[in-house]
Parts: sequence; structure tokens; C-alpha cells
Amino acid sequence: MKQNSARLAIFILTIALGILFLLNISMGSVSISLPEVLKALFSETGTSSEILWQFRLPKAITCVLAGSALACGGLMMQTLFRNPMAGPDVLGLTSGSSLLVAILLLAGRYGSFITFVQSPWSVALAASLGGAMVFVIIISIAKYVRDNTALLIVGLMISAATSSVVSVLQFTSQADDLQTFMIWMLGSVGSTNWSELVVLTITISMGLGISMSMIKALNGMLLGDSYAQNLAINIKRARTWIVIATGMMVGVVTAFCGPIAFVGLAVPHLVRLIIPVSNHKILLPAVMLGGAILLLICDVIAQLPGSTQVLPLNAITSMIGAPVVIWMVIKAKRISV
Amino acid sequence: MSELDHIALQTLNLKIGYKKDDQVRVLFEPLSLTLTKGELVCFMGSNGIGKTTLIKTLAGIHPPISGSITRNFPAAIVLTDKVSGNLMTVRDLVTYGRYPYLNWWLTLTDQDHHLIETAIKKVHLESIANKHLSQLSDGQLQMAMIAKALAQDTNILLLDEPTAHLDLNNRVEIMNLLRSLARETGKTILVATHELDLALQTADKIWLATQHKKIVEGIPEDLVLDGTFDNEFQLKGFDLKTGKVKHTPYRKTLIQLEGSGPEFLWTKNALERNGYEVGPSKTQVTVTFKEGYPEYILSLSGAEVKFESLKDLLIRLKA
Repeated sequence: MKQNSARLAIFILTIALGILFLLNISMGSVSISLPEVLKALFSETGTSSEILWQFRLPKAITCVLAGSALACGGLMMQTLFRNPMAGPDVLGLTSGSSLLVAILLLAGRYGSFITFVQSPWSVALAASLGGAMVFVIIISIAKYVRDNTALLIVGLMISAATSSVVSVLQFTSQADDLQTFMIWMLGSVGSTNWSELVVLTITISMGLGISMSMIKALNGMLLGDSYAQNLAINIKRARTWIVIATGMMVGVVTAFCGPIAFVGLAVPHLVRLIIPVSNHKILLPAVMLGGAILLLICDVIAQLPGSTQVLPLNAITSMIGAPVVIWMVIKAKRISV
Repeated sequence: MSELDHIALQTLNLKIGYKKDDQVRVLFEPLSLTLTKGELVCFMGSNGIGKTTLIKTLAGIHPPISGSITRNFPAAIVLTDKVSGNLMTVRDLVTYGRYPYLNWWLTLTDQDHHLIETAIKKVHLESIANKHLSQLSDGQLQMAMIAKALAQDTNILLLDEPTAHLDLNNRVEIMNLLRSLARETGKTILVATHELDLALQTADKIWLATQHKKIVEGIPEDLVLDGTFDNEFQLKGFDLKTGKVKHTPYRKTLIQLEGSGPEFLWTKNALERNGYEVGPSKTQVTVTFKEGYPEYILSLSGAEVKFESLKDLLIRLKA
């Protein structure tokens, strides 16, 4: 694929993202027409304006941020492990984040540092640490387990183990906490307020920025450690930064939106279907755009436009993600990084 | 120019191997080896003896246990490692060669583009430069890897089994390419290989890893004639000194052969392969030419029979 057609594809994705963003904020239980949306965005008063500023804009921005963060994290994990089935949820990063968030919330209930716990920054920090910790564990295991399938099984086991600890925490928690937790587990982009949004924006921007600075190393990882070293690429340092960036991004998304499945795994493959390149200079921004687009679409579906019902986001991402991955495996007979 | 100016790479009491916890596994006795500018060295030895480790150590991507390596130039490598990224094109792969010179955003200069295209041309992959790696044959993939190393524009090339799993034609093509690169561009090339016959015909020098953890250095012919290869490979039925598979003259029939050129050599091959011994005898085969085509004349107890093919000749002989 020529450099120019790749640029064109990224341009089209950007336009698509803009259109979907407007569509997303215009749809919901109350439909707001596009001209009205534009009017309401620049006025302070009115019901439409309130709906937009209080609910739909934070939600749409969360979709964009979370989608690009998860997809970017997924791509980097697939490249780092040279494993097409790697992803933040598959290898247990989301579970790690959930665990630390659960511990933090529980500690908050029994401890005396409630104000610290309630700060979105501390939640973000805990979730990021949880994600990064699992990532480090998987990387150190990957050194001994060269087999891709074995690594996935290890990831699933770590995921299962942390999830079970979370279940134990749930079991011992009070009823009202439990309900909050269950809702959180279903995934939601609609519960973020503006102060959480600030944390999300700052953390994810940093994460995406670090990722973009890693394109050379990410490309190098496709050739393997020996070649990369011969090409003067510092793989070890890059790995550390990728762990930090992915942990951070997956962590905050998980903390504020719950464990959103499939986006990290499916988007890189979907994007490669449209833009068949392996160069991360093109792939990385395209995947970020793709993740944002996919989550905006999923959110529109979850809102069931015209009805007051809202479906759990996780159900929609899985409903779209799972068939896509199966279809791809069948179509290509194999999938690859 | 002094002797030192010719040296591309030199090791002094180099010990290579693996350190794990307190255990050290040294693969060879301390190595003091030299690669000089513009020479093609074939590094031979049986599987698992440590060829890959030495290549990686010389390239600086595997730490030596002790001793020193002096690399007067940077080295590019071609390994047997599998490359992922099936959507990577040949040109993408060759572009990797420029990575040591590129910034984080991978901005390619005109010079970079030029070197990439030159490298692709050198290995004759222009027509498939935009093909994905997954669409290539093994030989083409190997050529692309070599092009990547060429784009790196280094004076030293270290290759680990570049001809493994390739058919004879591709093996010869790669060895010839390396041969001409060493001669024309003055690159120093070290190739780890199993291809005894090709190595003997192309290498300036052979490094032979022995069972006694040593690396014997020498030019191919010397190592053949002094029996080093025979000792090392314990060749079973292959006569290195003639370069042919040993045949047993089980028919116990001597045939005198006269003639010249390739036809003579292949007639000899056909006779020996079928258990005849070539030597002074009353039974005589003469290779002649008639209007440009070979003709095989069998003189058997005074009578002469002419054949147009060796097949017919053999049928008559065996009758």
C-alpha cells in the first residue's frame, strides 16, 4: 500500500469520526437534530444544551478517548507479544485494573482515607498500576513461554485469578456497593463527569503520546529482538514505556468505564482489513481513530435511539467484536500481527 | 596501507556461550579470529555447535563471556529468526535497514530512498517490491532479508544459514550474490552454512568448527587436501578430494573412456554410477561429436556401435 493511499484512509477515518461524534450526541432517548445540536453547543441555556453538556458530550468524549486508548493498547500488545490474539482484556490487564480499583474502593469503605479514595486521580492511579502490574507479569512469563497459545492461556488464568479475587471482594461487600460494582462490570461510558473526564483526557493523551513516540520500536518488534538490536533499537526501554502507556490507558478506561471487552483485540484487525499495512506510523493513528469510531457506534446501538432503554456497552462490543474476529479467522484462514 | 588497515573484525581470546545463574556454558575454546576487508568467509560446522551464537556475538547482540571483539565497522545481520507482520512489503522490510539512521518519526531522506531502491535492485526484487512478505517464496524472502542488510550500508555482513531450506538454484544465486558483493563492494562477509560444496567453491576462507571446540581457519583447498574436512564431517560415501559421491565398481568391468569436455565427464559419471570402473581396457567408449551433437562409440571386441544417448549406451553395455 502506497504512503498516499494510507494517508487518504486516515483522512477518511478522521472525517468518519467527526460525523459519528455528531451523530452520537444527537441520538439518544431524546433525539436532537443536527442543527439543534450545533445551536445547543454554543448556548448556555435550554434543555437540549443541558442534555448535551451534562450527558451526551462527556459520554461521546469518553467514547472517543476510551476507544482509542483500548485499541491503541491492543495493537501495542499484539505487536509486543507478536501474537494476534493479544489484547488488554484477553491477557488480564483489565482484570488487574478491576482488582486494584475494587481493593481501593473496599479499603476506602473500611479505612479512614475516604477523601483520597474518592479522587478520580487515585482511582486512575490504582487502575493503571493494576493494568501495568499484570502486563509486567505476562511479559516476564513470556520470556520463558515462547509459545503463543501458552501465553494466552497464562493470560486467561491471570484474568480468571484476579476476577475471582474481585468476586470474593464483591461477596464480602454490602448490597449497595455490589450493585454499583455489577453495573460497573457491564461497562458504561455514560457515568463519567467532567472532573473524571479531565483525568481521562490527560492520562489517555499522555498514553497516546508515548505510543506515538514508540513507532520505531514497535516496527522493530515485528522483526524480533535480535534484528531490532542490530538496528540500534532499544527494545528493553521501549517495552517499559509500552507497559507504562498501555497500563495507564487501559487502567483509566477500566476505572471509569468498566472492563470494556473486545475493542482492544478486534480494532487492530479491523483496521488492518481496511488499511493493510504493518508500519505503525500509519497503523497506530488509524487504530486510535478506529477504536474511537467503533466505540461511538457501539454506544449509539447501546442507547437504542428513540427508546428510554439502555443496553450494557460490554454486551454490544462483544456482540460486534466476537463475530468479527470469528469471521476474520475464517476468511483469512489465519490471523496475524 | 599497513596490515591493520585491512582488518574489519578481530577477536582476541573470545569466549562465547551462555551464562545462566552461576552456570557458564562455553561453546568454544578462546577464539582469536580475524576477518579482513572484502573477503567471503564461510563458517561451517555441525548443527548446534554454536554457529548462531558466534554470529550473534560478533554482531554485538549477544554478550561474550570474556575476551574482546574489535569491530572496525558496524555489522548488518541476516538471521534465521522468523519475522512477523504478514502485511509488511518487501520495501517495508528493506526500509528497516535505514532505521539506525532515522529519527523517531522515521523520516526518510532522498539518500535513504536511494539506498533502499539500490538494495532492492541488487537482489533483483524490483518486480515484487510491493508484495507482502507472506506472498514470497522462501528464496525471495531470504533475498529480501539480504536486501535489508544491504540497505544498512555496513562494511560487514554476518549471515546465519541464508541458504537453509532453499533449492539448489536459490542457494547458488545467494552464494554468487555474496561472492560478488565481497568482490565488488569490498564488504566483509561471514556466512554460517551447511553447504559444503558451495562453500568450497565460493569462499575465500573457511572457518571450520570442530568437535574439539576449536575453529580451524584456512582456505578451502588446504582444508580439503590436509583431511581436516574428512576428519570433521566423517563423510559417508562422499569423496571430497574428487568432489563426488564414492561409487563401488560392483560390475568388475573395466571400460576405457576417451573424449573431452562435459560429455566426457558425464559419461564417466554414468559409467561409475552404474558400477563400471574406468581404466585401460579392451572395451572402449569414445565420445565424439557429429554436427555439434555428441556421439558415443562403443568398441567391443573389434565391433563398433554408435549411440546418440548415454541411456542407449548403458542398455547395450548391460545387455
